[in-house]
Amino acid sequence: MKNVRIWFKKDFECRYISHLDLNRTMLRALHKSKIPIWHTEGFNPHPFATFPLPLSLGFRGVNECMDVRLEDDDYSFQEISERLNACLPRGIRVFDVTEAVMKAGKVAFASFTIRVGVPDKPSSLVAAQLDRLLSRESIEIEKKSKKGMKTVDIKPGIHAYKITEQFDVAVLDVLLSAGSSDNVNPNLLIEALTRETGMAYEVDITRKCAALHSVVSSISRFATMAITTSAAPHVAATPTTASASLASRSSVE
Amino acid sequence: MVSKEVERLLLKVQKPGRYVGGELNEVIKNKRDVEVRFAFCFPDTYEVGMSHLGMKILYSQFNSVPYIWCERVFAPWVDMEAEMVKHRIPLYALESGDPLSAFDFIGFTLQYELSYTNMLNMLKLGNIPLTTAARGDELKHIVVAGGPCACNPEPIADFVDLFFIGEGEEVDLEVMELFRTCRAEGVDKPAFLRRCAQIEGVYVPSLYETAYNDDGTIQSFTPRDGAPAVVHKRLMLDMDTSYYPDTFVVPLVEIVHDRAVQEIFRGCIRGCRFCQAGFIYRPVREKSPETINAQCRALCDNTGYDEVSLSSLSSSDYSQIVPLLEQLTAWTGEEKVSISLPSLRVDGFTDEIMNKIKTVRKSGLTFAPEAGSQRMRDVINKNVQHDELMQTCATAFAGGWTTVKLYFMIGLPTETMDDVADIAHLGQDVVDTYYRTPNHAKGKSVRVTVSASSFVPKPFTPFQWEPQDTIPVLHEKQQHIKASITSRKLQFNYHDADTSFLEAVFARGDRRLCRVLALACERGFHFDGWADCFDLSKWMALFEECGIDPAFYANRRRRFDEILPWDHIDYGVKKSFLIEECQKAYENTTTPHCRLACAHCGAAKYGRGVCFEKRQDLV
Repeated sequence: MKNVRIWFKKDFECRYISHLDLNRTMLRALHKSKIPIWHTEGFNPHPFATFPLPLSLGFRGVNECMDVRLEDDDYSFQEISERLNACLPRGIRVFDVTEAVMKAGKVAFASFTIRVGVPDKPSSLVAAQLDRLLSRESIEIEKKSKKGMKTVDIKPGIHAYKITEQFDVAVLDVLLSAGSSDNVNPNLLIEALTRETGMAYEVDITRKCAALHSVVSSISRFATMAITTSAAPHVAATPTTASASLASRSSVE
Repeated sequence: MVSKEVERLLLKVQKPGRYVGGELNEVIKNKRDVEVRFAFCFPDTYEVGMSHLGMKILYSQFNSVPYIWCERVFAPWVDMEAEMVKHRIPLYALESGDPLSAFDFIGFTLQYELSYTNMLNMLKLGNIPLTTAARGDELKHIVVAGGPCACNPEPIADFVDLFFIGEGEEVDLEVMELFRTCRAEGVDKPAFLRRCAQIEGVYVPSLYETAYNDDGTIQSFTPRDGAPAVVHKRLMLDMDTSYYPDTFVVPLVEIVHDRAVQEIFRGCIRGCRFCQAGFIYRPVREKSPETINAQCRALCDNTGYDEVSLSSLSSSDYSQIVPLLEQLTAWTGEEKVSISLPSLRVDGFTDEIMNKIKTVRKSGLTFAPEAGSQRMRDVINKNVQHDELMQTCATAFAGGWTTVKLYFMIGLPTETMDDVADIAHLGQDVVDTYYRTPNHAKGKSVRVTVSASSFVPKPFTPFQWEPQDTIPVLHEKQQHIKASITSRKLQFNYHDADTSFLEAVFARGDRRLCRVLALACERGFHFDGWADCFDLSKWMALFEECGIDPAFYANRRRRFDEILPWDHIDYGVKKSFLIEECQKAYENTTTPHCRLACAHCGAAKYGRGVCFEKRQDLV
């Protein structure tokens, strides 16, 4: 029995499926691949898989992962990767399999690249708007909760950002709080922007990676790293280069 | 393949995964390598359409032919439709992303009458003119349709160029082949359609003229240009060699029936008098356990599904059900695949079957006694006895089940209020049986759900001449059941009578209804099968505007000698047999099923199937 972490990209058509659908698709691919994975015991045994941090519908993910427990240790990581890709839709591609070094439940940050544009408006305008919003002391947002609408300040959850311009869109690279307690969904940022300017933005969001709290002793150092690798997101696509991501075997300190 | 324009809409609508394609096992071909492009349209949402077995069979079969590329098209849900209209994006196929207008054939499968408006709406969204006449003479955009509703094609005769009557596996390909030839010869569409009419199982409605009597009934039905006076259905005679896909497109989003489906036989031996499927798919033709087993295994291997549903009209009537389950359970346990056996008959739920399905997963149990009183069950030829139902439920309760669903119909011919009250009584008897079963689940209460739908008389059944109960009468019957229920362990729900009424109008309608449908499409009617969209009062206004009385179709008793709109279609069952069956119903007399005795319905003319099996009592 061995826990493994399966690394994949979620893009193209598969961008548009929910976390639950992704879960089903992954389990079905595992079943089809005949890689023996551990099933829960009980009345209705089902294959066991965990995702450290669900990805919202519509986002691309370039460093997503899922943990499963293998019942048979004979499979090489290479073989798992190949077998799974043969069973997955083209929008999900496994690019690495590693040992599950750190506990998945302790995700605290996630970094995103958000491309924002408005048809027929220059990227400089949007970049300036983003800059103005993010320079604020607080960014308040109306959030639906069980007890009705609630005002939340998302500013403390924004740890670092960088705004650049690329052709007709502004590109925001940002490090946000993530996980079960203080999650900031990047859609909230866009919502705040829309409320402020009244413009209809076209938005394309990519999650680059998620990181553990324990890994990051100094947020600012991690932030600098997360932001700089973001200029060329494909560089961060393998867990070895995105060293602060869940795959890291040595921490960033 | 999704275009940039469509991508802009996707985050504004619910469940965008329905509109993108890109699933595992989707078939992508190069447009330049194919000669015929076929858009297979299902006139309902992705989740419903992707659950439909017929579409899976024909999709795979078409695509197994190198010169054909068959793609899938579904009706966009109302939010997506509004976005597409607003941004002028025509309805497109999931595989290539190309609009309907790029296709040679636009094919619809018609599973229920209430999807007619969706069919027309899909043509409209694809910028395809609605009627055969408006589409012109060029050999393109040929609109074809098949499925159970094709047995009375008349209400949509103006919109469809040709219908496939019966099972599609062979006749579809014959038409594709003819199309290829005609295009090579430079033939126009009217000539192509005339040649199609010569293929057995093809009905070209534009080649027939209807005349009416003063009372609104049909006076005559006349073919022209050499079209046959009667169109005979096609059917697959050898199910073991008949095409069956070894793989399904595996959806990215959850669909209604999200599992592998394995057909085990076609047709039904029973002959319940209300059931259209029980007559139009005659005779019963089974697959061998070996074929089923091999096909199930291939499907699971190629899709990754961990559940297989054995599909037929009545699973427990499969003659080799126990050997089949033995073969299947030999590998399904090991591979963590579960088997579900829907459509179990009350009298077919034996210990042996129960134990086999229990080894994998315990799903709810559903039975369809259809009527509450024994007299009523004899009228409809259900051939289920009260004691059998109680015995079966006792078996299930002893096996640990605690929930049972029971399906009934109200509004059946000769039904009285006492018959209706007996539906509630039967449910109560099941509850009582639970507490009388000594080894029922400890400490658990029983839940019995009683569902009542309203009877819709359908073509090609012994009740095709019957009036449907009017909506007020149906409401009264629903309330009567409700009032007759005394136990809280018994839950009652019923289907909306309004939708059943509209279904009854179109099920036995004629060509004069085309006008109503065209107007409905113009007014933006769609998704009439969904409570979200259906509004009978709007339909009544349309009927009035067109000068048509819908009660003429739904609530009128027809004479046996009346010419019915579907009399020129032959499904193998003789009209004289249906009349006999109808008269037996009035006398509360049952007819034994095909394996007990041949009732001489006419289906033996096909020369195969259950008609030629050795009868049990003769063995």
